[in-house]
Amino acid sequence: MEHAAERNGVCTVMDPATLLFAWMLPMVATFADRVPGIFFGLPLLALASLIFAATHHEDPAAIGLATVHWTVWLGGILGLVLAAVLLLGWIS
Amino acid sequence: MGRSAPAPPRRIVATSPDDGSAIDLRNPALAAALSWLLPGLGQCYQGRTFKGGLFMTSIVGALLTGLWIGGGNVVYASWRPGENRWAFLCQAAIGAAAVPALIQSSLLGGPGRQPLAASPWFAPPLIRGQPVSEAYARRLADADPAIEADDFRRQPNGTVRYEPSQSGGQSSLWHLRLGRFFDIGTLYTMLAGLLNLLVIYDAWAGPMRTPTAADESDDKQGDPPPRGASRWTKRLPRR
Repeated sequence: MEHAAERNGVCTVMDPATLLFAWMLPMVATFADRVPGIFFGLPLLALASLIFAATHHEDPAAIGLATVHWTVWLGGILGLVLAAVLLLGWIS
Repeated sequence: MGRSAPAPPRRIVATSPDDGSAIDLRNPALAAALSWLLPGLGQCYQGRTFKGGLFMTSIVGALLTGLWIGGGNVVYASWRPGENRWAFLCQAAIGAAAVPALIQSSLLGGPGRQPLAASPWFAPPLIRGQPVSEAYARRLADADPAIEADDFRRQPNGTVRYEPSQSGGQSSLWHLRLGRFFDIGTLYTMLAGLLNLLVIYDAWAGPMRTPTAADESDDKQGDPPPRGASRWTKRLPRR
């Protein structure tokens, strides 16, 4: 049976979301294997962002937005530190 | 000669950083103490129930999760040679955790030689040679699979001493049984305590905010904040 993509003259193996998922899954698994207990840290990151946001705002919607803001910043900074540590470990 | 009318009692308010509305802090010191006792309780007392509920569920949730991960052994107060629990300094920022831990620690070290109701919850680990009551020794031998009844030696004065066959005290057994989960549970409870410091400050002085240009010009023109109030709180006549 002719594949729909071939019929249209386009050769795609899989859609971007599937491709991303197929790439991400082994990476996340490798990351979790290299850094044991990393998933125990994620709720703490969210908790710290939530409390920090809630002590700076009164409005629930503003608290929600600030929580996302702080999660991205904290996660980014801690992620960079972790990446640097892993890179140094890999180099040495 | 006319007497001036007594000044109306004053109320301490903070300003909401979102819409500029006034937040009645009622008695800030009492609110801060309530938030220390149970996270969010001070905010509930001030009528800020949404934030109070949010703080209560998240911080108490983190504390209970940490206790669960650490097998119920990660919150205790102990200041003995070789068994100093520095993590308790962070955990003590939550009264609901600090008070039972301090009670259990003082009772175990007191003349009774056993914690409240001989319960191992929040009790510090035994160190080698520590005298305990017979009831607590029996309770530990029943509750903890790593502790045998033979690990306790009877003394002439009626108490028993913890003399395990293996080296180390009870905390070594906890670390052996729980592995890294002991440290993860400790981390959860420590962070819950540290975050509660922010909650206590929020109950005492209202929400924190970064100063704007308008605030800076107000500071130059207006009076300094009253004693006992933070930069963002004001004293207004009570309605």
